[in-house]
Amino acid sequence: MKLSLKLEDQQQNQNPILFKAKIPIAVFGLPFLSAFSATHHHAAAASDKLSLSLRTHFPTGPSLKLSYNTPTTTANSGAGKMDTSPKPKSKSKKPKYSRFTQQELPAWKPILTPGWVIASFVAVAILFIPAGLLCLSASERVVEIVDRYDDECLPDSYSNKGDSFIQSKDTNKTCVRTMKVPRKMTAPVFIYYQLDNFYQNHRRYVKSRSDKQLRDRSYADETRDCKPEDNLDGDENEPIIPCGLVAWSLFNDTYKLSKGNKVLDINKKDIAWKSDTEIKFGSDVYPKNFQKGELIGGGELDETKPLSEQEDLIVWMRTAALPNFRKLYGKIYSDLEANETITIVIQNNYNTYEFGGEKRVVLSTMSWLGGKNDFFGIAFLTIGGICLFMAINFILLYVCKPRPLGDPSYLSWNRNPNGL
Amino acid sequence: MGGSESLVIVGAFHTLSSMLIDIIGAFRFYVVVVVNRFFIRVFGRFDRLRSDKVMPGRKGAFRSRVSGGDASGCSYRLLDSAPSSRTIQLGHVHPQAPGHRTVFCNDREANYIAKYLGNAVSTTKYNLLTFLPKGLYEQFRRVANLYFLAISCLSFTPVSPVSPITNVIPLSIVLFVSLIKEAFEDWKRLQNDTTINNSPVDMLQDKRWESVPWKMLQVGDIIRVKQDGFFPADLLFLATTNPDGVCYTETANLDGETNLKIRKALEKTWDYVIPEKASEFKGEIQCEKPNNSLYTFTGNLVLQKQTLPLGPNQILLRGCSLRNTEYIVGAVIFTGHETKVMMNSMNVPSKRSMLERKLDKVIATLFGVLLTLCLIGAIGSAIFVDVRYYYLQLLINVESQQFNPRNRIMVFFLSIFTLITLYSPIIPISLYVSIEMIKFIQSTKFINNDLRMYHSETNTPALARTSNLNEELGQVEYIFSDKTGTLTRNLMEFFKCSIGGETYGTGITEIEMEVAKENGANNEVHKPSSTKRDKGFNFDDARLMRGAWRNEPNPDMCKEFFRCLAICHTVLPEGEETPNKLRYQAASPDEAALVTAAKHFGFFFYRRTPTMVYVRESHVEKMGKVQDVSYEILNVLEFNSTRKRQSVVCRYKDGRLVLYCKGADSVIYERLGSGNDEIKKITRVHMEQYGEAGLRTLCLAYKDLSHEMYESWNEKFIQAKSSLRDREKKLDEVSELIEKDLNLIGCTAIEDKLQEGVPSCIETLSKAGIKIWVLTGDKLETAINIAYACKLINNDMKQFIISSETDEITDVESRGDQVEIAQFIRETVKTELQKYHGEAQKILNGSSRQKLALLIDGKCLMYALDPTLRSMLLSLSLNCSSVVCCRVSPLQKAQVTRLVRKGANKITLSIGDGANDVGMIQAANIGVGISGLEGMQAVMASDFAIAQFRFLTDLLLVHGRWSYLRLCKVVSYFFYKNLTFTLTQFWFTFQTGFSGQRFYDDWCQSLYNVIFTALPVVIVGLLDKDVSVELSKKYPQLYKEGVNNTFFNWKVVGTLACFSVYQSIVVYNFAVVSSTSGLTPSGLMLGHWDVSTLAFTCLVITVNLRLLMMCSTVTRWHNISIGGSVLLWFIFIFIYAILFIDKGTFFTIYVLMSTICFYLMIILLPTVALLGDFIYEGFQRWLYPYDYQIVQEIHRHDPDPVCAGLLDIGNQQTPEDERRYAFAMLPKEKSRHTGFAFDSPGYESFFASQQGVGAPQRAWDVVRRASMKPQPREQ
Repeated sequence: MKLSLKLEDQQQNQNPILFKAKIPIAVFGLPFLSAFSATHHHAAAASDKLSLSLRTHFPTGPSLKLSYNTPTTTANSGAGKMDTSPKPKSKSKKPKYSRFTQQELPAWKPILTPGWVIASFVAVAILFIPAGLLCLSASERVVEIVDRYDDECLPDSYSNKGDSFIQSKDTNKTCVRTMKVPRKMTAPVFIYYQLDNFYQNHRRYVKSRSDKQLRDRSYADETRDCKPEDNLDGDENEPIIPCGLVAWSLFNDTYKLSKGNKVLDINKKDIAWKSDTEIKFGSDVYPKNFQKGELIGGGELDETKPLSEQEDLIVWMRTAALPNFRKLYGKIYSDLEANETITIVIQNNYNTYEFGGEKRVVLSTMSWLGGKNDFFGIAFLTIGGICLFMAINFILLYVCKPRPLGDPSYLSWNRNPNGL
Repeated sequence: MGGSESLVIVGAFHTLSSMLIDIIGAFRFYVVVVVNRFFIRVFGRFDRLRSDKVMPGRKGAFRSRVSGGDASGCSYRLLDSAPSSRTIQLGHVHPQAPGHRTVFCNDREANYIAKYLGNAVSTTKYNLLTFLPKGLYEQFRRVANLYFLAISCLSFTPVSPVSPITNVIPLSIVLFVSLIKEAFEDWKRLQNDTTINNSPVDMLQDKRWESVPWKMLQVGDIIRVKQDGFFPADLLFLATTNPDGVCYTETANLDGETNLKIRKALEKTWDYVIPEKASEFKGEIQCEKPNNSLYTFTGNLVLQKQTLPLGPNQILLRGCSLRNTEYIVGAVIFTGHETKVMMNSMNVPSKRSMLERKLDKVIATLFGVLLTLCLIGAIGSAIFVDVRYYYLQLLINVESQQFNPRNRIMVFFLSIFTLITLYSPIIPISLYVSIEMIKFIQSTKFINNDLRMYHSETNTPALARTSNLNEELGQVEYIFSDKTGTLTRNLMEFFKCSIGGETYGTGITEIEMEVAKENGANNEVHKPSSTKRDKGFNFDDARLMRGAWRNEPNPDMCKEFFRCLAICHTVLPEGEETPNKLRYQAASPDEAALVTAAKHFGFFFYRRTPTMVYVRESHVEKMGKVQDVSYEILNVLEFNSTRKRQSVVCRYKDGRLVLYCKGADSVIYERLGSGNDEIKKITRVHMEQYGEAGLRTLCLAYKDLSHEMYESWNEKFIQAKSSLRDREKKLDEVSELIEKDLNLIGCTAIEDKLQEGVPSCIETLSKAGIKIWVLTGDKLETAINIAYACKLINNDMKQFIISSETDEITDVESRGDQVEIAQFIRETVKTELQKYHGEAQKILNGSSRQKLALLIDGKCLMYALDPTLRSMLLSLSLNCSSVVCCRVSPLQKAQVTRLVRKGANKITLSIGDGANDVGMIQAANIGVGISGLEGMQAVMASDFAIAQFRFLTDLLLVHGRWSYLRLCKVVSYFFYKNLTFTLTQFWFTFQTGFSGQRFYDDWCQSLYNVIFTALPVVIVGLLDKDVSVELSKKYPQLYKEGVNNTFFNWKVVGTLACFSVYQSIVVYNFAVVSSTSGLTPSGLMLGHWDVSTLAFTCLVITVNLRLLMMCSTVTRWHNISIGGSVLLWFIFIFIYAILFIDKGTFFTIYVLMSTICFYLMIILLPTVALLGDFIYEGFQRWLYPYDYQIVQEIHRHDPDPVCAGLLDIGNQQTPEDERRYAFAMLPKEKSRHTGFAFDSPGYESFFASQQGVGAPQRAWDVVRRASMKPQPREQ
């Protein structure tokens, strides 16, 4: 991806470059490439140019270029002192003409004439309907299997007592689910878990984390916002890493997939955004005192792995916008054929029973547009349709209620000449 | 982005800088104005505070004498007591007696004890130390700022969902901008002060004149002021270079009057002219405390053990300038802020526009909406909190009780605060600053620089003295106009005359030309080009010039005519005694015009002594002979408004005694001798012709007196003159004795020219639905004449005349019983009002649609304004399309204006040029002063100053209308964008368990208002125009949209609110729905902050595009600012998203931009959001088009007009052509009215000022004082 922002005149491309330097630098640990150049123009309208460009090393990363041109004419200082001016007194006060002060800047005056109205509607329709079809077909191609298991995995003896089931250490939380593949799912197949009625966007919850602590070992005791999951047993020297409610409530159901007898490997690499694993979560920060308190909120972490490798946590900690959300669990790099039966062994550890949440496991393929999401297709089609409809409506309107464009008799004072 | 696009942006920055320079230039102009304004600067309370502050030192000295010890009001009470204690004299016994100031002239040490103020003045509001606290205090007096301060404070508490930055940053930016503006203005004031404080003056030091800066002056110093210099302080006038101890001062800076005032020094001090002598002066002045009365002064000068009384005659006030005098010597009495002019500074009541008041209501409504949103959220919050959500650990209190499920009441109340903080952007913080900025640029750049409103003859551009009222100009419904100097030029020109039954003069008056144009002339008739001609003389007839009158049928009559003109007047010649260099000083321009005319006819009046008049006469005895003749002036029978005439008795060298008389035709004709009926008849016909042409006529007559008769009369006259009781009356009676059996010479006709383009301007304005009232001091007939000429009244109109000059009233008046008169007039007025009101209703209800006009004179108006009749007067006059009030006093002008403004709650505009219009100008919603001519008083009080009445068309129809339109757009857009923004937050609240979690990042939220959506709306506020200048004036009816407030009413706001709701729903839902599934081929999910960044991006694009949809014109500035705003957002987020790793927004934009969905979304979402608006506008435009939209359509193919060099168009016709053409077009009908001279205000005072100073308190002064009283609260 490249966004370029050019603020230069074309002729200046021939300018001799006085100086140019490319320096790799690191900003917040990110590799950047900076370039510096100065050019000088010898012609009469001399203009010096300095430019500084900054670009990330990510293949998709952004780059930024700043350049500075010295103005060709330096502006005269505007405010002169009146009393020191040697000019004769009888100076004309006639305002100077400028298009700005006389309010005569050249302008485009768009008028919503019938032609324009219909043309815009038709244009939008022409643009949106194919786009909608394209999106819809992309979404159609995606195969998605959703299975809600929070109820199903509850033994009958515990129905309506989900929380005691889940909180008890003695219950068997293993649960086996099978699902049929409706259509062929080509690798990679993505496994998601989906929670409903889980307010990851609650103010108290969102705030309860310490990004500093996650990123850098030296900020281990930055747990101010993490209360009540800040320090182990209130001891300031025992900060919880990662602290806060978000980490504490880490989702800890596990899935094991098998196709027939063949166990499907679930790849848990690259399920988080690169920026999170590489920068936001430190590679030298290790979990400490995590889930050691009285209350266990959720999953535990491997204390030997740095946070940047705990991708489940990283995914979990990119909090969702809505109380119903999906998060990536892992990927399978093998095709699933149509009508195959997939067995999922679920460790049903996570407590959603207490607040009446739902849990689902989702298997899905991806298209260029992402997962199964008819929204774009439908939206584009609907809007395209509406525009088409409106175009027809307006045509009808213009036919049924014709009005000559710019007819003076429609002016209010002509319509009722005596009106006040 | 292509190459051309980038070029545009580079260009844009250049233009932006040049725009900045323009703006700086505007400030420079402002400085000039400030310099001019200085002497009557508005200091307001602060100066008073200041002078109070300095008092205590001295107050201590006499505290024992002021019982009660109420320290604060002290100085003022002392002021009040000043006149009564005038009898206390002896200086050394009570050196600081209450109410007195003792000044030891030429003795700094003696004065040192009193610790008088220095002469340095400071008009600044702040100094370095007080700037911040005081400036901030001023800022926080605005409710909006206070609100945001409160919100900012709230945001520091744990209750707040947003970090303090969100609210603090916009507030600081807003405050910063406002403070910068304040500082800049104050700095300009400081510069002025410094300039003035450092201007040099000659002060007596060691028997020499030393030049010192003004600020070094102290009370008691002796100084010298040279000709044309300004007096640096209030001075006691000691001596002058003029022989008789007088000097002339001009008080234009004080009261706007340009005629010279005479001041006379006490004879005892005449000698102290040279420094050696002056240094011996050791007088002691005892006088009143500093006060603000310009026309009074009481004090004593103790000189060589003698006590001499001092009056205003000996006082030279700061701010006046010295004229016709080489230099004067004076002693400083009052300095700096204690000078009368400084204490007199008036507090101009600041006016607020109607739109702003409406805006306040909208803001209040928004606040109501805010509270409702908060209430809903808070209830939700109280219901939501539940222990079940274990992952929130609600039972443990962190920071606050806010989420304690066991105390839902607390949750409810704390949530209200949380949500108020969260939703605070619903009230647009930058609105006021943006509006101020827009208005400031509108007034300084557009109004002040409009070439169409630049008057090249007087070199005067338009001037907006306040930027508060720009859009009010677009809503004016009533205009109150003064006549003289506003509709007319107040430039009296000798135009025609009739001598012995023969009419002379070939000119065509402006009025005749207008009438001619009206009668079917399509061709442009330009006014005669002003060939080099004397001011006051516009006469062209070869028969009288260069002695040709000798060949006329009646040469003797001509001779008398010219002599009458040259002798019978009270004009003072000034300057070198040659025809070209001499200037005439006359209070009334009529008089000057007459004397100038005599000069052109060969009777050059060049010198006046108290008893003699010297005239250089040509061609009298024979052609070509020039001789100096002196006439002894025996008596002057002065003009006053009852006599309506003026006579002079003079003795020729050969002993001939003649009485010359000039006056209004009615009084002169009564006093003519018998015979010569032919001449009388013809002259009367001539006068009627002149009157019809809008000329002011005067009759001239003379009478030869015999010695015996004169002597006997003169005795009576002297007796009357020296009588102590009823002197006026007796003088009048005596005058009657001699002013009879006169011989008519002829008459003069003076043109009080209508200003250029007045009739067409008035016509345009009335088409625009504006009703014009003329309020004038003139007589009814003159006023009607002018009203006809201006097309205010025509014969199709039903005229209601309420006049006090009916026979019945005259009868009653002649009986002289005041009570009876009052009762009678009141009854008459009442019955007439009732009668007319009934008639008016009948006509209005009928189908004839006849227009109505009301004419009322001042005396009747006085009774009609009575509370019992007021409402009837109001409803009658509101039904009339034009109203003429004549013979009204300045106070009545103000009353009438206030009646319509408050009584009918209409937007009024007053326009006037003179001091007598000040009250009216201040009483109206908008005051407009005519500038460029003499006198600054009206301009000083006005909000806008223009050079010509006709510029009102541009000011109202173009600037006012645009300004109104633009501000409506700006305000409604602000309303819309903030509502939309806040509502997206509101929808999110529902999804977060009503916890008040913010949807957007802190910085995005805080910069939304001040950066990402700020500039485009300002550009629209400056550049948007629905139709061009020409069309605005061509279709004046468009103005009615403003009068009816079509573009900012509850309907408009309601519609916008609906679209706001719709758009916010679209923006929010579309954005969050995208997060329900993976968005990339790699299956990754978006988080909260990704979604919010997406939503914010779409929101910024949407609201900016929405603005583009609102524009009538799209210049490149629109493109740059709208594109730039979106671009700025991207630049911001690009940088922000990599700089702040610990923010939720880290890398969001890059994540987003790596998905295709993002791009689809920024196409889809704004389209959907704006679809509703688009459909609405399509329907609205087609089915219920606004007038301006039709006009746009009519002229959709017109090219852009450009007015470069607009005013360089010369006359296309020669004056001769025009004259001939206009003649051909003259109407043949006759009018019964004749015009009269001697109507010019200020005429009487001229004589008063000749007699010494005791100038009467001017009417306007009374008005002004009245207006300075604490006023009832605005609305």
